[in-house]
Amino acid sequence: MEVKTFQGGAHIPHYKVYTEAKPIEKLADPPEVIIPLSQHLGAPNKPLVKEGDKVKVGQKIGDSDEYISAPVHASISGTVKAVEPRLIYTGGEAECVVIEADGGPHEFSPEENRDPEKMSKEELIEAIREAGLVGMGGAAFPTHANINQKKDIDTLLLNGAECEPFLTCDHRVMVEQAEKLVAGAEIIMRCIGATKCFIGIEVNKPDAIKAVEEKISDKKGFEVVPLEVKYPQGFKSHLIKAVTGRDVPRGARSADLGCIVRNVGTTIAAYEAAAYGKPLIERVLTVSGPEVPKPGNYLVKVGAPVYHILQECRVDDLENSKVVLGGPMTGLAQIDLNTSIVKSTTGIVVLPPEMVEEEITYKDCVRCGKCVEHCPMWLYPNEISIYTEAEDYEAAQEWDLDDCIECGICAYICPSYRPIVHFVQRAKADIQKMQKK
Amino acid sequence: MHMSKPVYTPPPHLKEEATVSNAMRDVMIALIPIVLVAVYFFGLPALFTIVVCLAAAALTELIFRKAMSKKPALNDYSALLTGLLVALLFPATTPWWEAALATFIAVGIVKELMGGLGWNRFNPALLGRVSVFLIPGLYAWINTQFAGLQPAFGSVDVVTQATPLAMMHQGMELPSYLQLFLANPGGAMGEVSPLALLLGGAFLVYKKHINWKLPAVIIGVVLLLSLVLMPVTGVDPLQYILTGGLFLGAIFMATDWVTSPITAKGKIIFGICIGVLIVVFRGIGPVEGVAFAILIMNAFVPLIERATKHPSFSDPKPAPAGAEK
Repeated sequence: MEVKTFQGGAHIPHYKVYTEAKPIEKLADPPEVIIPLSQHLGAPNKPLVKEGDKVKVGQKIGDSDEYISAPVHASISGTVKAVEPRLIYTGGEAECVVIEADGGPHEFSPEENRDPEKMSKEELIEAIREAGLVGMGGAAFPTHANINQKKDIDTLLLNGAECEPFLTCDHRVMVEQAEKLVAGAEIIMRCIGATKCFIGIEVNKPDAIKAVEEKISDKKGFEVVPLEVKYPQGFKSHLIKAVTGRDVPRGARSADLGCIVRNVGTTIAAYEAAAYGKPLIERVLTVSGPEVPKPGNYLVKVGAPVYHILQECRVDDLENSKVVLGGPMTGLAQIDLNTSIVKSTTGIVVLPPEMVEEEITYKDCVRCGKCVEHCPMWLYPNEISIYTEAEDYEAAQEWDLDDCIECGICAYICPSYRPIVHFVQRAKADIQKMQKK
Repeated sequence: MHMSKPVYTPPPHLKEEATVSNAMRDVMIALIPIVLVAVYFFGLPALFTIVVCLAAAALTELIFRKAMSKKPALNDYSALLTGLLVALLFPATTPWWEAALATFIAVGIVKELMGGLGWNRFNPALLGRVSVFLIPGLYAWINTQFAGLQPAFGSVDVVTQATPLAMMHQGMELPSYLQLFLANPGGAMGEVSPLALLLGGAFLVYKKHINWKLPAVIIGVVLLLSLVLMPVTGVDPLQYILTGGLFLGAIFMATDWVTSPITAKGKIIFGICIGVLIVVFRGIGPVEGVAFAILIMNAFVPLIERATKHPSFSDPKPAPAGAEK
């Protein structure tokens, strides 16, 4: 089997054993959901409901007239308890719609008599927009804007790399819903006019490769591309480079390179949006960690509070532990468990005290060169870390600070324990502030 | 449900276990074979010199860090490693104050005053060692002050054989290749056994602390040049590389993280230049050229790094050599 990849990157223990064989299960519905009004990159939404309103599952509760935006929907039926700023997973506050569940049911009833085959390209894109689809791998860019391209696109790239440790939701989705995945891919291909579809899957998921290969055996233009298990294989530029061999220059969008990259979960959601008008009100995510009593891949309502999900997984002691939303390389640690999951939350990882450094004591760079050797962007994280630490952002930018994708390999590998990603994020935020002034 | 508050730190939330302390400790472990050979040949004086240097290194670091209001950093083993390396650069019979002064200069001036581990431009052990030549007056003065303080080691016979390099210069007959490779007393403690040094080097390569290409390039260039120059010099190339501080310098000094280039290409250029300089210095005179060759190239590291800087992934050009496949 030919295995493709990119140059650079690192082999990181993947800890997928806890959940990779666990079939997707539906998680019990939460007593309340906290739905951030804007869960996409782009223009913010305005609320369509107010306190006291009764809402039904699937009802649109926030939208914007701007093109680059994606509406949000009620993920359970009940009463709007509040429309107010709440702490969200990023650590900041954002306008949220809080819905208290009624007796239910909270299942979305599919619209009948829809046939994606008979829908025009415009109707498909409209259905995807109305369903509020965003990239579910973490980027959260509105899908309808991504697949409505004037440029010539020849290739759809489905991202099944899932290179973050612990996460297995994309893996399980490919194994269990390969048919919907292929159907979703065909819909997106029609929208973008692509004739080829590559599904990139890391070779540590042989059952997913097999399941998808079975479903595409009679399809023209489809091909599964086995990828080396290497972090950050699932980052967009590295996936494009590995699968197509095309370079990804600074500032280029994937459409400029003739391809569109979609996460496998998003692709299935696109099928569901087109085939039965289902909005993005729930998603599969992985709850995992070495000491989580009930780790698994769960179908969870968007807006479900973190505490509810952890309770359902029988997590009760978090003393000196860390709760990470997303994968452990790029995800965000939560202090307050009243935050909720959003459309782009890939998992909740609970790291036990043995895996938690409470306080970072780091040393000066000893120039071992490991970060340079492994940086997937071929940068010099050593120089960047020294200059960003000293807040000499101009010098850091000369070392291509702006190209950094914050994948975390340098900080993971650094023998001086330098918090390089932290420095970089602080620098980027400071630079943005200065530019606004 | 009552849940205590979990911990917050920025991403990433996983960490490879490698630490600077472990790496320094591994280099010390890699030096065990050569230390054993040295102690075997030179006995108590060897052990004494090593202990003096270790103690001087620890003390110097404590004093300098205290003076600069920094936290002590003995637990990163870097001072102790420097002390051990300085010791190995001296013959076992060296007066202890001379070794101690060299260690003091290495750890105190070359490392701590330059900003501490990571900021020193020159290899501390080497610069400490050659300070004997660079500031001979200081050493001469200290020697007269301390002359009575050298302990006697009873009847232990210290081998005071001429170094093979000196023998070569004097046209004396050298021991066999095998003996030179396995162990041949003479010169500095760290020069006695290329085999012991190679064992240590192999361990460091296995532990991924050093890149095997750098020592290989240095030794290869020296071998190649001595082969080319053989008609002129009449010196046997194998004897040429098996004698003197070449293996110690190539494996343990040139590969120092802090003072060698970070780029893969830069390491090769660095190695080639060191090899050429070693041959030049050895050709000029009897003073061992390895230390000066490496120290001079240490100064060129920033230049080499600038010249070999590879473009970012976002500047589509060929991938950097040395990036992991």
